[in-house]
This record gives sequence, C-alpha cells and structure tokens, in this order.
Amino acid sequence: MKPICRALTACFAIFALIAAAPVAAAEPILIGISKIVSHPALDAIERGIQEVVTGEFPDTRFDLQNANGEISTASSIAQKFKSQKVTLAVGIATPTAQALVNAIKDRPVIFSAVTDPVGAGLIASLEKGEPNVTGISDMTPVRAQIELLNRLTPIRTLGHVYTSSEANAVSLAAIARQVCQEMGITFVETTVSNSAEVKQAVQTIAGRVDGIYISNDNTVVSALAAVADVAKKHRIPVMSADPSSAEATPVLAAWGFDYYKMGRATGRLVVRILKGEKPEAIPTLFMTEASDVDLLINLDVAGELGLTVPDDVLATATTIIEDGQLIKP
Amino acid sequence: MLEGIFVEGLIYAIMALGVFFTFRILAFPDLTVDGSFPMGAVIMATTLTAGLNPVSGLLLAFGGGVLAGFVTAAIHNRLKVPHLLAGILTMTMLYSVNIRILNNRANLPLLRVDTILTHVTAVSQGLIPADWAALIFFGLVVLAIKLALDLFFHTDMGLVFGALGNNEQMVRVQGVNPATLKLIGVGLSNGLVALSGAFAAQYQGFADVNLGQGIVVSGLASVMLGEFIIKSNRIGMLTLRVILGAILFKAIMYLGRFYGYYVNMTPNDLKLIAGILIIASLAVTNYRRIRGKGGTSA
Repeated sequence: MKPICRALTACFAIFALIAAAPVAAAEPILIGISKIVSHPALDAIERGIQEVVTGEFPDTRFDLQNANGEISTASSIAQKFKSQKVTLAVGIATPTAQALVNAIKDRPVIFSAVTDPVGAGLIASLEKGEPNVTGISDMTPVRAQIELLNRLTPIRTLGHVYTSSEANAVSLAAIARQVCQEMGITFVETTVSNSAEVKQAVQTIAGRVDGIYISNDNTVVSALAAVADVAKKHRIPVMSADPSSAEATPVLAAWGFDYYKMGRATGRLVVRILKGEKPEAIPTLFMTEASDVDLLINLDVAGELGLTVPDDVLATATTIIEDGQLIKP
Repeated sequence: MLEGIFVEGLIYAIMALGVFFTFRILAFPDLTVDGSFPMGAVIMATTLTAGLNPVSGLLLAFGGGVLAGFVTAAIHNRLKVPHLLAGILTMTMLYSVNIRILNNRANLPLLRVDTILTHVTAVSQGLIPADWAALIFFGLVVLAIKLALDLFFHTDMGLVFGALGNNEQMVRVQGVNPATLKLIGVGLSNGLVALSGAFAAQYQGFADVNLGQGIVVSGLASVMLGEFIIKSNRIGMLTLRVILGAILFKAIMYLGRFYGYYVNMTPNDLKLIAGILIIASLAVTNYRRIRGKGGTSA
C-alpha cells in the first residue's frame, strides 16, 4: 500500500539517522548538563561548572541541554544523555535532576540547585549520597535571613510571597513558616503562579506586614522590582535571598549565595568524582562557608525607612549601596 | 538507544489520540489538555504514595481527566462560551486543583515508590532488558487503546461523533443532542490525556504541576505529522497515524537535540522547530488535498 510505504520510508530515514548518532567513545570526558530553563541564576551555575571542570580536565566536552521550561522534555534529555553514555550528568534544579536520577542508573548523577533533595526523592538522607547520586543543595539560610531582618527593624508580622508551582519555593516557604512560628512572628503568606501576579500579591499583604521576606524563588526574584516598588510606597523593609538582583533593585538587604559560586562548587564536586571518589561517600553539600555567602545592604533604602544599620552588620557586608553607588569593601 | 524514544512516543501517543479525538473528530480545539495531562500525573503520584496499586491510580487518573473534560464541555454547552475559552478556563482552574491534589506541593517524586514500571520490570526480570520490557508494555497498552477506539468509532455512537464534527446541523436533525455528544467526547478525550499523564509521571519518576507546558502543541504536532505521513480515511489508519506521528515527533525533537549543534542550533530553538514542523506538515497536507482528485479530506 502506497501510504504505508511512504510512512515507512519517512520513519526509516529518521530512525536510521538516530541509530547512526555518534556514540561517545570511552576516552574523552563528556559531561551532560540538563537545566530546566534558561535563567540568569541557572546559566551562572552552568558557567561555573564548565570553568572549574575545564580547569582540571581541559579536554572535557560538555553537552548543554535545556528543557525550555517544559518538564515533559526533562526526561527526553535524560534519555539522550543515557544513550550518549555521558561520563557524568548534572541536573540543575529539581525536575531535571529527578528525570536524570530516574533514567541513568549506571553512572554518576550530580544535582545542583535543588533545595530539598530528600523531599525531591533524589537521595534518602543528607548524610550520604546514593550509589550514583550526590550533589549540592541551594538551601538558603532562611533563619539567619529572617533574624537579620528582625535585628534591623523589629518584625511582628512577616509577609512572604512565593510561587506555588516551584518545588524549591514551596519547601522554603514551609521553613520560613516554621522559623516565624519559633520566633513568635506572625507569618502572612501569599502565592503567585507567574511573575505578572507578584505586584498584586504584594499589594494585598503590604498593609498588614512589618517586613517582606523573599526566598530563592526564581519567579518572584525576576519580579523583584515590583516587590520593591510596593514596599517603598508602604515603607516596608524587604529582605531578599538573592544579592545579585538586589544590586539593581532597591531592597533593604539581601543575603544569600551567588549562583556562579554555586556553579563553581558544583564543578569542584564533579572534579572529585571524575578523580575517582564515590558519590555514595559524599554527603549533600551546602553553601554555608562565609566565602560562599554574600550580604548586601542598601543604605539608601535604610535611610528612606529611617533605619540605622548596626556597624557589626555593615562590617560583614560584601556589598553596600550608598548614594546610588555600589561599594564592595 | 532507540527504546527511549519509542517509549516516550508511545506514552505521548495516548495523549495525541485524545487531542485527535477532540481536534479532528469533534472539531473542538481543546486546551484543557495542558491542565488534564498534569492532572493525570498528580493523581497517579498521590495514589501511589498513598500506597494504592498502580491500576487504581490509572483508573482514578482517567476518571479525573473525564471530569475535567466534562467541565470544559459544560462551560461551552451551557454558557455558549467558545471552545478555546472554555478549555483555557478549565486549564486555569486545574492549576489550583492539581496543587490541591498534591497537598499544596508543586512536585512529588516517585523515585522511591513502586510504579507500574517497577512491576513490569519485575515480571520480565532475567528475560529481557528493562528498557525493552517497558517498550513492549507500552506497545501493548497503546495497541489496546487504539483497538478500543477503533471499535468505539464503529459503534452507532462513534459514527455520530464523526458526523458531529462534519455537520452539527445534520446531527441535530437526526434527533441527537450535540451537547451530550460533546460532553462525552471531550470527557473521553481528556480521560485519555490524563491517562497519558499518569504514565508519563511513572516513566519520568515524578509528577510536577508544570508538566502540562507545551503538551497541546506536541499533541497537535503529532496529529499533523501523522496526517503528513499517511493519507487515509479509514478509522484504523487514522488512529495508527496519530501514534506514528507521536513517535516521529519525539524522534525529530531528539534529532534536533543530537545534531542541532552542527547547524549552530541550541536547545532554545527547539520550540521554533516544533512550530515550523506543524506549519510545514499542514502546508504539505493542504497542498495534497487541493491537488488530489475529488479532494477527500480526512
């Protein structure tokens, strides 16, 4: 039959191409990096990994894949890495890491920027890795951030905006809720499903809170300008977990790590495994060292709010904004 | 290495069959799909983590999808809202519903839970590699669904569905209520979509509320590609070409990822490629129809 012939020819041609796809030779190192979407923070991780690994192994080849925000594509990428027999695969953010761990069983998978790797089912405990899985959590110091905000200005009611569809943001919100409960602070939360809703969400809680906390939430951080705008009108201090976006957007303080440094830390982990360490023996890493974490204080915003920042806090700041000038002491 | 593409293609073929049902048979472009696909996934994940068996998860997922389809059809029928808007409304509402089903979470892992694939590999242990077992399993599942659909379209009701998409007035004259038919049709279609989502969650090892992004487009692309490769009017061929189209779509996207860098194409360009692919298939199919004697339209 003619139609069937045509169908078969088309299919055959396509699958012949796939079958002919080069299978990586054993010798050169091939690292597959799968990220969920092109985003400044995730791109910075990717860059950090590449720089560190090529520093140690100059011949390394990278296969950089991105699911364009389509979670259903994450498993296609995992299948691709599996068939290419990559030396090692890195999954940036929760869904891509989950898809890699699910598909690739016989070679190391490193996760990066996963806030709650146990909750995501990647590993059974933070104390050690799985036979082929270990990685870095981007757990941000929620308690320290809220405590710092409380020190700069007493907080009785804390507002929090987060994205209900972002796994990382949901687990951070649960921690913030817990911390507030322990500190005796009333926690007012509101959720958004995309960055266009952020402004309105902040407006609805602005009248009821003494401060706003923003976690490592990709969607809300990309709308940080909207948060800062509403906060300024209502004279509320904002504490953010992302110092890099706070350089351009006026918020009182931002304390967290730089995703580029996190990428470099991921790269160092990749190098350790390429040199023969067993993922199973490596516990989940956290970005807790003082050199990993940046504190940004915006003195202009503090002035507008009538707050004085204690000298010891200023002394630990890595970036200070004063009179519109960025100062890195 | 080909098994992965075939397995994914087969899983998404179930969704594509649902899209084909509304889009081609009912002429009801339905965007509920972007919400009912993740709905199937989250129902499945919740059922499995609650300790129930995969079969009840699949049934519940199918049921959830049917309900979602009913809502879309009811909005369209009762409030005289256009199809597209009715679908978008349901899809939007499903975002919240899906997060509720996951108990206010966005993502639920299945990496440490027994899924239907765990059972399939356990049965085939030692006989064939796990990947091939999955391929055979999904091949059988899709075949069963295809044959069931073929049978359904040969029943009186199935034939009326075909007529409804072509000429609603004629169906009305025959004393059949188109609203009831749309309710059943859109419901069944979304049941299939949710079922596909339930399988996808188990295959990729987690359910996520954002899973629906880009699903309608990949379903449409599969239907169009199928029409591009096989020209036929017989229902058995119509459903077969949807399945082949779904596999082919996954294969082409895979090729784009594999060979794209030779032509300086990055993964960011793949959505553009998917769109162009649909347009090209449409153009070729249209050209053939104009040129074809008698102009049979499928």
